[in-house]
Amino acid sequence: MATQIVMDHTGDTRHYFDANDAQALAKAEEQFKKLTGDGFTAAVRTAAGDVSQIRAFDPTAEETLFFPRLVGG
Amino acid sequence: MFSFRRSAVAARLRIRALRRLSRIFSSENSSEARGRRLLRSWLTAGQRAQFDANRYFDVVGCDSGRRYRIHYGTMTNVHEIDAACRPKIGWCFVPAGYLVAGDIMLAQKIALETNEFGALAVANSFVPKETPSNIYVPC
Repeated sequence: MATQIVMDHTGDTRHYFDANDAQALAKAEEQFKKLTGDGFTAAVRTAAGDVSQIRAFDPTAEETLFFPRLVGG
Repeated sequence: MFSFRRSAVAARLRIRALRRLSRIFSSENSSEARGRRLLRSWLTAGQRAQFDANRYFDVVGCDSGRRYRIHYGTMTNVHEIDAACRPKIGWCFVPAGYLVAGDIMLAQKIALETNEFGALAVANSFVPKETPSNIYVPC
């Protein structure tokens, strides 16, 4: 199961989907576009453990993390 | 009579144990705990060990190669450090909205490791002060 993790006031909310299911994949892509359109940053981890930001939906990502836009504190 | 007392004591002990279990369950499922778990799962092995030992971890900025120390907290918790791990300057930037400490620290780590200058562009700088939760251990 692939996961989209969205940071929120509860810690995070997770959306699980089957990356082999075309309908679930389309829904996940829609969610990706909505979140990034709302200003969230999307990040994935590489196999080596490095983190990278992504600007387009990656259907092969096991875990995609979203956090809200950064502001000065 | 003795049997009644014994069962009353046993019942009290059971209730106490259940309360303790409930407290543990609640604390492990609190938003703070969930944030810490998420943070730990995204740290590198070295950062995780550093965080578990000291409640902070170091990251290297992707654009400048400068080092930052991210302390446990929700604000004024990012310090740029020098070669001796002394704080040079503080940077205050956080994700918008209410998030728990673990989430904020993870967003700060990802921002510095993937878009350092973008993060610093929105950040406010400050002079870091040493506090009990923010003591500097030399490298």
